[in-house]
Amino acid sequence: MELWRRAANPWGQEVLIGVSWDLMWAAVIGGLAFVAAHAVWAKWIAPAESTSTGGSSLAGLPAQILRHAMSERVFHWGMSAAMLVLLVTGFAPVMGIQFAWVTIHWVAGVILTLMIVYHIIHATFWQDLWAMWVDKADIKAGVAELRHMVGRNGTEVPKAAKYPIDHKLFHHAAAVSGLAAIVTGVLMMLRLETAFWTANPYMFADSSWGVVYVVHGVSSVALIALVISHIYFAIRPDKWWITKSMIYGFIDQEKYVQNFDPNRWAVGGAAPQEELVPAGVGASIPEDGGADAGGSEPAGDSGDDQQASEFGGQV
Amino acid sequence: MAIIRDMIPAFELFQPTSADDAIELLIRYGEDGWVLGGGMDSFDWWKERIKRPTAVVDLANVDALKGVRSTADGIEIGAMTTLTEVATHPELLANYSVLTDAAAHVATPQIRNRGTLAGNLAQDTRCWYYRGGWPCYRAGGNTCYASAPTAMNREHAILGTNRCVAVSPSDTAPALIALDAQFVIQGSRGERLVDAEDFFMPPSVDIERMTILKPGELLTAIRIPSTWSGATFYYEKVEDRKAWDFALMTVASAMRISGGVIQEVRMAANGAAPVPLRLEDSERVLRGQAPSDQLGIQAGEVAVRDAQPLRHNDYKIPLMRNLVRRAVRGTEA
Amino acid sequence: MALIGQDISPPDLHAKITGRARYAEDFRADGMVFAKLLASPMPHCRVTRIDASAALAMDGVIGILTADEVPQSETGEQCLTNHPHYEGEAILAVAAIDETTAADAIERIRVDFEPLPFVLNPLDSMRPGSPNARLEGNTRTGRELTTLKWTEEDFANAPEGSMPMPDGEGKANTEWMVGDIDAGFAAADLILDETIVHQSLTHHPLEPRSAMAYWQNGRLFIHTSTQSLVRTRQALAAQLELDIEDVVMIGDYCGGGFGSKISGSIIQQVPALMSRKLNRPVMLRITRAEENYLGRARPGMQARVRIGFRADGRITALDLFALGDGGPFAGGDQNGAANTASLTYRPLNMRFRGVGVFTNTPPKAAQRGPGGAQIIGMLEPLMDKAARELGVDRLALRRLNAPDGDVEYGPRGATLTSVFVKEAIDLGRELFGWEERLARSGQMNGTKRTGIGVGVSPFAAGSRGYDGLLVIRPDGKVQIQQGLGNLGTHSISDTARAAADVLGVEWDDVEVVFGDTSRHLPWSSVQAGSQTTHAHTRANHAAGLDAQQKLREIAARDLGGRPEDYDTSGGRVYRRTNPSQGMTLARAATRAIELGGRYSGEEFNEDLNDMTKASVTALAGQGLVAAARDNFGGQGGLQSWVVGFAEVELDVETGKVDVVHYTAVTDCGVVVHPRSLGGQIFGGSIQGMGIAMSQKWVFDPVWGVSFAKRFYTARPPGILDVPIDMQWAAVEIPDPQTPVGAKGIGEPCVGAGSAALTSAIADAMEGECLCRTPLTADVLLAELEGRAPAYGPLDLHV
Repeated sequence: MELWRRAANPWGQEVLIGVSWDLMWAAVIGGLAFVAAHAVWAKWIAPAESTSTGGSSLAGLPAQILRHAMSERVFHWGMSAAMLVLLVTGFAPVMGIQFAWVTIHWVAGVILTLMIVYHIIHATFWQDLWAMWVDKADIKAGVAELRHMVGRNGTEVPKAAKYPIDHKLFHHAAAVSGLAAIVTGVLMMLRLETAFWTANPYMFADSSWGVVYVVHGVSSVALIALVISHIYFAIRPDKWWITKSMIYGFIDQEKYVQNFDPNRWAVGGAAPQEELVPAGVGASIPEDGGADAGGSEPAGDSGDDQQASEFGGQV
Repeated sequence: MAIIRDMIPAFELFQPTSADDAIELLIRYGEDGWVLGGGMDSFDWWKERIKRPTAVVDLANVDALKGVRSTADGIEIGAMTTLTEVATHPELLANYSVLTDAAAHVATPQIRNRGTLAGNLAQDTRCWYYRGGWPCYRAGGNTCYASAPTAMNREHAILGTNRCVAVSPSDTAPALIALDAQFVIQGSRGERLVDAEDFFMPPSVDIERMTILKPGELLTAIRIPSTWSGATFYYEKVEDRKAWDFALMTVASAMRISGGVIQEVRMAANGAAPVPLRLEDSERVLRGQAPSDQLGIQAGEVAVRDAQPLRHNDYKIPLMRNLVRRAVRGTEA
Repeated sequence: MALIGQDISPPDLHAKITGRARYAEDFRADGMVFAKLLASPMPHCRVTRIDASAALAMDGVIGILTADEVPQSETGEQCLTNHPHYEGEAILAVAAIDETTAADAIERIRVDFEPLPFVLNPLDSMRPGSPNARLEGNTRTGRELTTLKWTEEDFANAPEGSMPMPDGEGKANTEWMVGDIDAGFAAADLILDETIVHQSLTHHPLEPRSAMAYWQNGRLFIHTSTQSLVRTRQALAAQLELDIEDVVMIGDYCGGGFGSKISGSIIQQVPALMSRKLNRPVMLRITRAEENYLGRARPGMQARVRIGFRADGRITALDLFALGDGGPFAGGDQNGAANTASLTYRPLNMRFRGVGVFTNTPPKAAQRGPGGAQIIGMLEPLMDKAARELGVDRLALRRLNAPDGDVEYGPRGATLTSVFVKEAIDLGRELFGWEERLARSGQMNGTKRTGIGVGVSPFAAGSRGYDGLLVIRPDGKVQIQQGLGNLGTHSISDTARAAADVLGVEWDDVEVVFGDTSRHLPWSSVQAGSQTTHAHTRANHAAGLDAQQKLREIAARDLGGRPEDYDTSGGRVYRRTNPSQGMTLARAATRAIELGGRYSGEEFNEDLNDMTKASVTALAGQGLVAAARDNFGGQGGLQSWVVGFAEVELDVETGKVDVVHYTAVTDCGVVVHPRSLGGQIFGGSIQGMGIAMSQKWVFDPVWGVSFAKRFYTARPPGILDVPIDMQWAAVEIPDPQTPVGAKGIGEPCVGAGSAALTSAIADAMEGECLCRTPLTADVLLAELEGRAPAYGPLDLHV
């Protein structure tokens, strides 16, 4: 299998022009193989999931716990749509499905770029950036989870923060790939004639362009595998409650108790479980309720969630 | 590794006697196979050592692909019919002179004696960046050198570009679009028919191919319906020399005029875009109107409405506009 | 009846028409291998590493020749180089049992290059801080390579779109002035100030410069394509440091050169050296794309010209500043262009400044009318512009400025043997129907507008002092030895007729020996500069007189009387008073052998060239051997003239130009061979029409590589591009300083054809001179439609 596509430049010197499309198939096959392996494991090999609430009490928890605010959900699905359009328009022609893809591709790319820019700004200034930080507890939990998965069932897997380690890692992988694809994609748009600029292939040396195309290709190919696995988990029945939370915004209190450590994800801003707010009174959460929650751990969501839970509270 | 030109590398030559055999061979060799018609495009590519098929399927002995035949509804021209035969065929001369005009304007008598109608339609673009072996989009790369701000692109496209700005070099394509011809494509799964204007592949869809022909498919015949038999035709090719040149711009049209009014019209241009263009907007302007120079000017303006010139091909805008105008004026006077 | 002035069939005609003629690439020799070249892909670079191991390991690959194994030349050009100065320059050659293998082997060679800065456009190399095409400099001053740049201020001072014309020291490396340019402009009623751009053009002869060579016992045998046979042999011997006697050159036919094969071509060294290295015959066939690179080109020119006219049209001042495209090794054509301008228009005051600028484009060389064709093509529309503004007849303005035989021109007041251009203008006015056609100027025929144009074009037309050599054989045939090349101009046969006419023999009794230096040929001029008609009618006339004198002496000795009592004609030498008293040439030849000494070539005149002496010695004893140097002498140089007249129709909706009619009238002295002269005039004029209308070369400015390297992209004119309605005539006034009265003609026709069209097209553009070549449809249509110009005013290679 070739990794890169090379060509002779007009002077006969070999230059990189992009990734080999073999890589695309490798990503598709790799992604599907992972899915298949996981499915097999989950059906026949996986140790039984603990459904215990781990000693947590449901008492005082709202029946529906807000996990994703409306703005996040809109962002997620918008981004997903753009990403899928980009992947399909980018790769379907390579697979032999032909249509006029370029305009759709770059328009979707522009939409994605704008959304990501919004997301970065929003996450930096209005959301808790640290919620996505992989900390020691995450790593411990991850290791334990892995041990659990391979059947070394010594210790109980610690419960997760709002975003479990696998979610965080997926996010970061997708973020790196996505950003790389976006930055290179924006550069590539300079080679398209638009009303705003004249196409100019000579803005960078051909070797630099080769790197741009390779990065765009590698990141896009990586996204294929990531998206395949992401969709797979999203549609797995045992993960459906998470997917639903990305649709409706909420998880059941039962799922919350089963999967999350209230110390690390304080619902509604309440950290210690003793202080959990009773169901139906989410609207009365004090403004500063989570200020000192979780000790040195980053606190739960602020503002957005706050309002969303007000909204959610009426569901 | 060093580059050398002007020496055809070795390949295996097949000379089947039937289209089916040819298709079988083409399927067997896939991307490494090459259809040889008259060779007027092929030899150039091979000589440059840029396209290097390992198996060449020469259609010269497939007699079924040659000749002009009358059909119940018009006329059918075999793909391997030479351009000379097309240009001099009495029935075509009598009723479809827009095509004979077009064929007679191809290159030189020598090339018309060898070159085939299908070859003229399916030939590759003459963009000299691409033909020079530069790693452009069309060659599988990721650059259009011809649209760079410094590029030499007086022969390139003003319309319908999409990353690639090369133009279709076919002289006969606009005539066949004007005649509402259908192209017969034969593949392993049988035959399909496409309209003339749909035979050509825009770069927005597949930047590496000029036509919709897939590996393993053959263009076997051109069918011209009798719809436009004996209509009012116009054909003009503007080229730098009067022979052995590709068009800077070509316009072909067929009109039915009665009662002093253009009842029906089909018009096409080449040299303007990566594919031969049917000028539907101009047709709409013309339909139902009395032909006049003023109308021609309107139709011409509409044809170039979306044109975007490159550094050196702005002249194609007035040229295309003027040729459309002349087609309506109906005379080269 | 004299042969001079008659149409004859040249001796090589049948072979050419039937395809039996064998050109360099048609020869084969035992054990012959084929060579292929590895060419530079870059316009300027250094080869840092060559790994040919994979190629040399291939079956059928015989050997390699690299730049380290070839001689250096004075210009800096080598037949193979590790420092290419243009795309396509040959780096190495590989020989194999066939070309397919050799080409495959080239592809397996790995060459690493270090790209170097390059220059395509001379003006670019004049900017401060700009790169030079040669590492040593961007121009040649004297013999030294130097760097000559203008300043930012010089560029800023030029009006928008005009070429800078900086005053002061060090702005040009050639500069001369005749008269007082400022006074000239002060006396002018009209001053034109124009920037002109003339393209470079590949020679593109039909036959590329192929060659095949082998060695036998230390002697080089080479079949090559060359304009000039014995002079090419001499050049190659010098290049390879061989004794000239050790080079046998065979070149019976040459498929065109136009100045690019004057003494063969540097690439012919490759088969010669490769053959010596491998000890096998080596064939190097040059392909069309290689010919585009290696085959030389006419130097393009960017210039600014200011011309002052008196109210009557007389030119009072002409100030020309020209940058010539020298390619990597030469100096451009601008100096010759200035001389031609000085001769054609006799400005009362003239200043010329010029720089030949090196560029990383294919090497430049003389091309049919070098310098002259360019400047006439560019200036004639300006003469029209002035005539229009002054309200004088365009032809009358040219006639007023045209020279007579007493002209002194150029920086040193050069003189000429004769000038009858005014007679040519007058004859042309009548033949062309100037007045009637001019009445159609500007008239519309549908969408086509008529334009009428005229171009007055001189060019060098002869040289002196070469040798004639002939043998009257015992079979009565007159065998005339010709050391010229067989370029297709019929020089080998036409100039031989001067000797035959002196002796009064029929053409059927003449055999012309040419094409092989082992056949004992005399020292000759190069077949270039339109020299041969003049130089070799004289040399053969001299040989004819020598033969005639010897015949008379033999007749007087055998038949009595004094030699001067005898005359020659009809294959006999006979007593003038009693023609029955005489002997046949056959008999005289036998007697010459018997007599020996100077009659049979055992002795010869000491003023002959050494090459001729060797040939005389080799021929000695074969008959009556006559050999003589052209000692007729003469004062001044030679120039012939062609005045071209054209009527064109310009389609104002497409920018396309149709040439409707063309008339050419020449002053080339006595007409030696009418049909051949017509061929030269039409052929040269058509070449000029191509320059004006379609032919081009095109480079990508970013990569410095060329596109118009095949005929269909280079676009020389085709036969359909020229009118069926063409005519020519000659004033037929003999040049008074040469015994036959004939001058050369090959070159001035190009400028006439080009200028007639640039003039006619400007006329059809209602006087708008676009001042560039070629005037293609895009250029004209942009102007007609009032759109942005297709190219910048100083753009080259587009």
